[in-house]
Amino acid sequence: MDRQKIDALTHSIFRLLVGAMYFHFGVLKFFPDLSPAEMIAEYTVGQLTGFRPDAKSILVVLAAMECFIGIGLMTGLLPRFIFCLLIFHIVGTLTPLVLLPEFCFKYFPIAPTLEGQYILKNLPLFASAWILIFPLAFPFKPKTSNE
Amino acid sequence: MENMLSHWKKAGVFAFLILFSLQTWFVYQHYKGSGLSRVPNPQRGEGSILSRAQDANLSALVRSLPAAQSAVPVANLPVTDVLKLYPALEKGMRTPFDLWRYYGKGSSTFSSPILPMRFEQWLEFHEKQKPQLMKDVRAYMGGRFDFSGKVLTHQWMSGGRKPVMAGPIARLPEEIPTFEDLAAMSPETIRAKDIFPYKPLAHPLQTTAHMLFPDSWTAAHPEHKRIDVDMDFPDAYLPEFPPPLFLTTHKELGDISGGQEITFRNYFEIFDGLLTGEQMEGLKELLRPSPTTWFNQTTHRLTLAPSDGVACLDCHTNGHTNGAIELGPDSRPNMARLRVDTPTLRGNYNLLQLSSKRSIRSLDHFSEVEEYFDGDPGMQQAIGPRAVKREVSNRMADFNAIIDYPPAPKLSPLMKLIPSLASEQELRGEKLFHGKAPNAPSATTVPPLSMTTSTTSVSSGFTSGDQKAQSKPSLCAASRIPLPTSMMAERPHSMIQSNFSISSSNSTSIEQKKMIWLPFSSVYNF
Repeated sequence: MDRQKIDALTHSIFRLLVGAMYFHFGVLKFFPDLSPAEMIAEYTVGQLTGFRPDAKSILVVLAAMECFIGIGLMTGLLPRFIFCLLIFHIVGTLTPLVLLPEFCFKYFPIAPTLEGQYILKNLPLFASAWILIFPLAFPFKPKTSNE
Repeated sequence: MENMLSHWKKAGVFAFLILFSLQTWFVYQHYKGSGLSRVPNPQRGEGSILSRAQDANLSALVRSLPAAQSAVPVANLPVTDVLKLYPALEKGMRTPFDLWRYYGKGSSTFSSPILPMRFEQWLEFHEKQKPQLMKDVRAYMGGRFDFSGKVLTHQWMSGGRKPVMAGPIARLPEEIPTFEDLAAMSPETIRAKDIFPYKPLAHPLQTTAHMLFPDSWTAAHPEHKRIDVDMDFPDAYLPEFPPPLFLTTHKELGDISGGQEITFRNYFEIFDGLLTGEQMEGLKELLRPSPTTWFNQTTHRLTLAPSDGVACLDCHTNGHTNGAIELGPDSRPNMARLRVDTPTLRGNYNLLQLSSKRSIRSLDHFSEVEEYFDGDPGMQQAIGPRAVKREVSNRMADFNAIIDYPPAPKLSPLMKLIPSLASEQELRGEKLFHGKAPNAPSATTVPPLSMTTSTTSVSSGFTSGDQKAQSKPSLCAASRIPLPTSMMAERPHSMIQSNFSISSSNSTSIEQKKMIWLPFSSVYNF
């Protein structure tokens, strides 16, 4: 197997695994009490919305968003839409670090709690997704000689 | 060809994701009801079909919810379709105010004496959360009740220092201008429109819950000021502080307290020579603070400084009540526990039953069992000593048994109004009360909310004793019976508890319920 094929295979596995992880964690949020992020996510939504609307229904939106990102990463469909979702998602998922530092850090910012680590793991996931989706969303166009 | 392959790959990915989602669904069905899950398992009868529900009250409650107004007959709806699952929350996190719309189980029966964060963070968290929480709580309470600040003219609480308020009155929806309009509606319509004005009140912060003292108390006892939440009821609507204390053994002395709060430091001076040795020891025990779930010397607390704890008479001030609230210790998860007021101890010798029918049968029982730790002996083990032996609790009961009602000179020994002393209005009220309002002249007297009205009537008849000081008492409880709106609103907590308590006694008649709820009448025995 030549290097080009290995690279292509690696890229495919990378794409599938990152996408599957987004999809997996998204699907869990559709089922009450199954996702470990439920408490933090719901409470963050509550804080952002003044605890007025039902946070559970907003959690469903978050779940759907993660599932779309996962599908987009795995299939390469709608890359620009998925890219926008990705940006929106990472901002949302990091919000608890600011709004609920007491629950995310034993000592801010060095010693995160388990919940804090769960949130921080979104950063490498986001970076991976960026690497995968950005080239698709905004393909590199080499300058022509006329330019 | 390559394009074709790409399509097949995408189809494969979608097939995998669909299979994965289905697998998750199957796993979820097994997970529900397990030890880790907060979601009851319908296959084990938890949260099952309403028609199979054992509890008619629960069915009625569920039917009153807006979600139940669908084309599907409610009897065929699973509880899970009309109630929401309790949110997953840590200690200290805000809870919905409409907890009656929720269901579910806790992750564990047992609590832990460990905070979810360091104590310094705990303080910071509540310092940030409390202002907005209290703003929201006050707005919510203002939306539920009309705290107009109006007083009943010439009606004073038994100490004669604080007027009895004309309210708070529950607010009606805009489309229902008066209580008479509400009274004219059928219970089914009220349920269907979801306009019953006396829905349960939750504790303003149900994840910590516990004892919540009124402002008048915390002004005198700053050691009981909580960092997380304040009392949600305006002080004007709560019993006077300190209230007078009357003893059955010394009726001639009137108010024994002399207008001061009876404490561990002054009780001996006041009662020496008036009580028996057993009663003195009982009173001492009632005044001795001991640690509780959230008032203690550990970091698992809701006070800034470590606390000595709470004494029985900190809530039952001077044998009466200061209006402090807490949650009934008789259920789990914590969010399912009902808010209860502190009942007065006045006249307990004459009551059949006290407080929570699911947990506490009498005040003697109350002093023996573990309620300072919210019904969790494990927390008692972890935090501090409170294990009252029977011989001690019996002496506490000895003192409790001589706490008397305020004087009511218009009542005969048979607890009937003396006609020559009573006003015409009071006599009409008494007739209405003893006749159970069979011939209520109009809807203005008794709305057809049978349990509510019954409960309230009983409460008022036996408890109010809104006496215009000791020297000028006037029994106006009966006279207030024809004012159901203000009366009902005056006792929102107790009434709500009683009306919404989920009981297994389906066959209990209203008459029986009146008896059952008689003890609640003592909640606001002003």
